[in-house]
Amino acid sequence: MFWERFLHNPIGMIGVAVIAMNIFMAAFAPLLATHNPLAINVAQQSESPSAEHWFGTDEYGRDIYSRLIYGSRISLYISLLSVAVATLLGVAIGASSGYYGGWIDNVVMRVMDAVMSFPAILLAIGILAVLGPNIYNVVLALGLVYTPRFARIVRGSVLSLKEKEFVEASRAIGNGDAYIIFRHILPNCTAPLIVQATASLAYAILAESMLSFLGLGAPPPAPSWGNILSDARNFMMDNAMMTVFPGLAITLAVLGFNLVGDALRDVLDPRLK
Amino acid sequence: MLKFIIKRIIYLIPTLVLVAAMVFLLIHLIPGDPAAVILGPDATAEDVASVRQALGLDRPLYEQFVVWLDNLVHGHFGVSIHSKRPVIESISERFPVTLILTTLALIFALAVALPSGVLAAVNHNTNKDYLFMIGTILGVSIPGFWLGLMALLVFSVHLGWFPSTGFVPMWEDFWGGLRYMILPSMTLGLFMAAVVARMVRSSMLEVLRLEYVTHARAKGLSEWKVITKHALKNAFAPTLTTIGIQYGMLLGGAVVTETVFSLPGLGKYLVVSIYMRDYPVVQGCILFIALVYVFINTVVDLLYGYFDPRVQYS
Amino acid sequence: MEALLNIENLEVSFHTRQGVARAVCGVSYDIGQGEVLGVVGESGSGKSVTALSVLRLVPYPGRITGGRIHYDGRDLLAIPEKQMRKVRGDRISMIFQEPMISLNPAFTIENQLTEALHSHRKMSQKEARERATEMLAMVEIPDPAKRIKDYPHHLSGGMRQRVMIAEALLLDPDVLLADEPTTALDVTVQASVLDLMHRLNQRIGTAIMLITHNLAVVAESAQRVVVMYCGRVVEQGPVREIFEEAAHPYTQGLLKSIPKPDGKGKLVEMAGIVPSLFDLPQGCLFNPRCPQSRPECVQSPPPWREVRPGHHALCWLNA
Repeated sequence: MFWERFLHNPIGMIGVAVIAMNIFMAAFAPLLATHNPLAINVAQQSESPSAEHWFGTDEYGRDIYSRLIYGSRISLYISLLSVAVATLLGVAIGASSGYYGGWIDNVVMRVMDAVMSFPAILLAIGILAVLGPNIYNVVLALGLVYTPRFARIVRGSVLSLKEKEFVEASRAIGNGDAYIIFRHILPNCTAPLIVQATASLAYAILAESMLSFLGLGAPPPAPSWGNILSDARNFMMDNAMMTVFPGLAITLAVLGFNLVGDALRDVLDPRLK
Repeated sequence: MLKFIIKRIIYLIPTLVLVAAMVFLLIHLIPGDPAAVILGPDATAEDVASVRQALGLDRPLYEQFVVWLDNLVHGHFGVSIHSKRPVIESISERFPVTLILTTLALIFALAVALPSGVLAAVNHNTNKDYLFMIGTILGVSIPGFWLGLMALLVFSVHLGWFPSTGFVPMWEDFWGGLRYMILPSMTLGLFMAAVVARMVRSSMLEVLRLEYVTHARAKGLSEWKVITKHALKNAFAPTLTTIGIQYGMLLGGAVVTETVFSLPGLGKYLVVSIYMRDYPVVQGCILFIALVYVFINTVVDLLYGYFDPRVQYS
Repeated sequence: MEALLNIENLEVSFHTRQGVARAVCGVSYDIGQGEVLGVVGESGSGKSVTALSVLRLVPYPGRITGGRIHYDGRDLLAIPEKQMRKVRGDRISMIFQEPMISLNPAFTIENQLTEALHSHRKMSQKEARERATEMLAMVEIPDPAKRIKDYPHHLSGGMRQRVMIAEALLLDPDVLLADEPTTALDVTVQASVLDLMHRLNQRIGTAIMLITHNLAVVAESAQRVVVMYCGRVVEQGPVREIFEEAAHPYTQGLLKSIPKPDGKGKLVEMAGIVPSLFDLPQGCLFNPRCPQSRPECVQSPPPWREVRPGHHALCWLNA
């Protein structure tokens, strides 16, 4: 029912198409790229778009189109992985905290509150400032920062369900805690979790691009949309087009997840459509 | 009311201690010896030892934390390794820039979000509403810092309407300073504008179908009054919470915006300090911004009751 | 009796994805000066929509598609919105079913009462407050000077409905449209609110259109009764005749389902359910539920006939 309505939502389908395009780009980057994204060409520095270099070249003469294609890999990789980390951590923390309750719940939720007391990107910046810029540190930083959102959803749903009759009944016939959590409680919060995950993917792509723009993401020379943009910025006055394309790439990727997120929300809560 | 404020503050204390603890622990996340990392590979063993001692890293962890908390309570945010100045001094010099930037961004966001969100709700499911939905989804998808770069290119470099980078304090030259802040604050505020506008729209939609709105019309009030008084005040309560949460996005986004527009605010200071591995400054800035964020959200909680008197202050 | 407000062939449709629902279909009735008119019917019969049509406040996606509402020498459906606004709350006012949700939770009682005054009359806030306080006293709210400073959530349901009545009567309107004013209240409170309305009607002379699903509510206060079913008036007449000699089987069914005060006698629930407006039966709309249904009832719509002077029914019986 839920998925059927989603499949009939035109906005959601546009979003799915945009995401699919991005995944395609990342998966077939070697086929789609026209140049080696890392190849330096001193003879063709900071060129404008041409038949040879569709989106122009950067200050090292590297082909920006190819770098953007490869950049989608880093962007998707980091965002998917960090949201996966956040979801798993959040579900584990939220479920156990809500299920067992008591002082553990109190302490855990206070820690989650504390994490949410930081502007998300700022905490990620702080973690990366000390851990140093590298892809896995970005995944870790974003994953940790987004964990409380998932934990709260799961905990809320656990609290509302754990006293319900079907859960009591399951406990009465001797089912274990883990079984009850996985069989009865988690399936009831998949929908909000999916919505949260989709929204977080959009945020994560934005955050990753901000972090690598600041030099805290994937270290050069690896191409990521944020660091391509940061390189381009230094030569903005000479070659404005260099700054246009990375931004469009980020916007499109984020847009894809936002469209799907919106459609999912509409399907879940059609009142506000 | 006063009792409520005090209660609210007492409730905050454990969270604040945890926030401080997390910032404190940051420096211990550094792989290896923080003192050695700070000084870089060329440092002598004596230098490393002296920095370690200056940062108190030679003492047991819990003792370090107690000292750290005690310092914080007395307003000591540590001392910069680079400039040797107390961090709080540098923060107080730079925070006004960030505060002005985020405040202008907030004003811009609300100025866009409130009328457009109301208009979209009133024209629900019409072309205006669809246009609004397209606009806001773009607003939450476009990276603000990139939009900042584009705005610089178009409005400063090509059209010459605004100075490209640089800064004049608004408290010295209000209009001159404002010219430097317009592009940064608008590009920073766009994301928030979109998020808040959607919240305004959806809460207005919810409110507009309630019976008291029909009742207000049945009194013979003008549609303008029905919407701006009866509907908006109720719709604003949930919106206010969103604004509080989104203020964090402004504070975080300011880091990048200040870098793009070369504004001498706290965010730029933080980024420069990261490059210089001046960890006490990094800690101080992050902690300070988190405290500002917590403060703003506490104020939002207190204001909430004005818009929804059903909230019990007890 | 001179008709004060005359509804003539009113048509209201709701345009939804499932199709067009004709919520009100050729409804005509009138209300006299100072009269209490009971409008009775199950939910979905179009009685509330008719009242909202009088104020031109039919909610989206509903639209008034035909008819006239004569009041004060004008057709309310034809005058500009600006003039209509002067009628609302001033000459014709309305109170709603759910006092819990009909007052705005974000404003004090004073604010909500005086704003109605300010929107129609030029007066200072002090005068407005005095008038509002006086009105709260009239609807028997204890300590009105203090209560006026309260927010709606401070008051009980019965008190809130009194506030609604006070507000509706602030400007001495000619007509008060009361849409199920007691349905949401406790039984004990219901009686006192009804009694209050009855006394106010006699004291101020405001005509009241008392809309309810419960015939018992109109028994004591109304002079005439209009019975509605599926967007049509099916019977109309003096209250006594309706109670003693109801001509329409639907009205008879409604009467049988009124609980007797002494608890004696059989309580008969009417068979069947109200048909969907998207799927109305052929002929008489009541025929699938009617215990006296005949062949002609299924074939063609029944005629509107005078049963006795001033008493009409939309039925093939008595033909």
